[in-house]
Amino acid sequence: MFRHLLKLMWNKRRANSMIFLEILLAFIVLFGVYAFIFYNLNRYSSPLGFNYANSMGVRMDLNDDLDSLGVLAAQERIRQDLLAMPNIEAVTWVGPVNPFGGSTWQTGSMVRGQHILTQMMFVDEHFANTAEVDMLEGRWFDESDLKGKYLPMVVNREFKERYYPNVTTLVDSIIDLDGEHKIVGVTSDFKYKSNFAENFPLSFFAQPERLAQDDPFEMLIVRFTPGTLAEIEEPVYNLLVGHTKNTDVVIWDMAKDRIKSNRNIVLPMIILIVISGFLLINIALGLFGVLFTQINRRRAEIGLRKAMGATNGQVTGQFVGEMLIVTGMALVLGAFFAVQVPFLELLPIDGKYFYYGIVGAILTILFIVVLCSLLPSRQAAALQPAEVLHEE
Amino acid sequence: MIELKNVSKSYRTDTIETLALQNLNLSVPAGEFLSIMGPSGCGKSTLLNIMGLIDEPSTGSVILADQEITNYNGTQIAKFRNEQLGFIFQSFHLINDLSVVDNVELPLLYRNISGKERRRMALEALAHVTLSNRAGHFPNQLSGGQKQRVAIARAIVGQPNIILADEPTGNLDSRMGDEIMDILLRLNAELGTTIVMVTHDDRMARKTHRLIRLSDGERVS
Repeated sequence: MFRHLLKLMWNKRRANSMIFLEILLAFIVLFGVYAFIFYNLNRYSSPLGFNYANSMGVRMDLNDDLDSLGVLAAQERIRQDLLAMPNIEAVTWVGPVNPFGGSTWQTGSMVRGQHILTQMMFVDEHFANTAEVDMLEGRWFDESDLKGKYLPMVVNREFKERYYPNVTTLVDSIIDLDGEHKIVGVTSDFKYKSNFAENFPLSFFAQPERLAQDDPFEMLIVRFTPGTLAEIEEPVYNLLVGHTKNTDVVIWDMAKDRIKSNRNIVLPMIILIVISGFLLINIALGLFGVLFTQINRRRAEIGLRKAMGATNGQVTGQFVGEMLIVTGMALVLGAFFAVQVPFLELLPIDGKYFYYGIVGAILTILFIVVLCSLLPSRQAAALQPAEVLHEE
Repeated sequence: MIELKNVSKSYRTDTIETLALQNLNLSVPAGEFLSIMGPSGCGKSTLLNIMGLIDEPSTGSVILADQEITNYNGTQIAKFRNEQLGFIFQSFHLINDLSVVDNVELPLLYRNISGKERRRMALEALAHVTLSNRAGHFPNQLSGGQKQRVAIARAIVGQPNIILADEPTGNLDSRMGDEIMDILLRLNAELGTTIVMVTHDDRMARKTHRLIRLSDGERVS
């Protein structure tokens, strides 16, 4: 029967060319959408690596006239004053690259024969405690590390796995990355841009390196007791304004900042899903239309087949089968094109997401085709041969 | 072979009931070539459809090949039609998108027969109607007479015991009609196939073993 249907559909190839084309295009669009969604969902599923809840971000100007020691002293005073306030649990100073801030710094260097490319964050020694960073090995740097021979540095898991996969521990390793640094700890996954950010090698450096560039930290992360943001926001603002002698202090809720940073991916994802939804509706309507038209044109053939001994199930199966054959041909061609993307490494993304995309698109289209074929096919099966054979 | 007992058939719409057949009794022994004549609308095709199990009688019973069919379900009827009955229609009803040999194979698709065996049987059936040289052609490349020969090959390919022909020469000129009639007579004589033929052509009907006439749904002779 399969060969018979294959032959029939091949002989009707002109009539089926439009539906073939429609399914092929739908497959290519769905493939892209699924690959994009799977890729981003996978990114979303990996943890941020720090706690953003019950934290506020604060941006403020420090006095430009202060020297390095003066900056450090002023920062510590502000930190202590904040910690002295009720409902404030931890405070840290961070550089211009900070969680959900949208900025990125990267540096690259040849280190013992391999090119190391890493994103950079400059933070103080209280960052791990305030943001509740999960440490994989070693520890966060402290004040004593700042006085050592080498400047301290902490890297994330991706850094270690990408550049030192066979090294048991990176702790106490010396690495020449914009100057000699000593790695004191490795965090687990750490993504500071958004939940959808790529797990990229990341290195944390201490503030003195920025101070040497006359670029002191001007942002704070303040962790507070859950549910107290509304009551502490104003006192914090007043305290900081008192310190800076100007009103240029901005406070924001980091949880909201995270949502905003995720929107860059969520919004296109929603748009793509809506477009795909319309596309699928279009396919469904197209299939309905094609099948109803075909069944109307082929009433005599249906009657004939039933007269020749076809059961209702066989007639239903024939029309569903015909649609599946056209669909199958379009999907095979579509999959052939789609496979080229990971095969030829056309995009710098792990190939598995494209294979997931192929499988997802195939299953979705097959589901829609079977669903949309069943109703018209059943109507075809219900035709009375005596009636339709008499029509001509 | 075919026995109809008190068969009546009525069609009902919202306002009117039309009686197509009335208390018809008919017995067709195995190997007989029977023709049915009557004016248009007298119930000839309805009678043929009931014999062919593609329509149900409103009352009465149908016995085919010694089997009481009345209580068969859809699947059993489909199987019976496939194995025991062959149909020939006035307008041929060939599938234009299939080649001649694929059209002939059609009834065998609904049996558990391998593709190779199907092809062998279809070519054999085409040889019976002397159309082997047209096996790869498509219906729109054939004349009316050739199309009807293909339809006959399709009707006999499953080696049915009964062939039901609804005005098989109705769309053909007299020369082609004679050709088709000769084939049907040969099938009846050589294979012993029971044939029931509806016709308007008295000349064709006289060539068969027996003729019955219908008028207003009743048998008049």
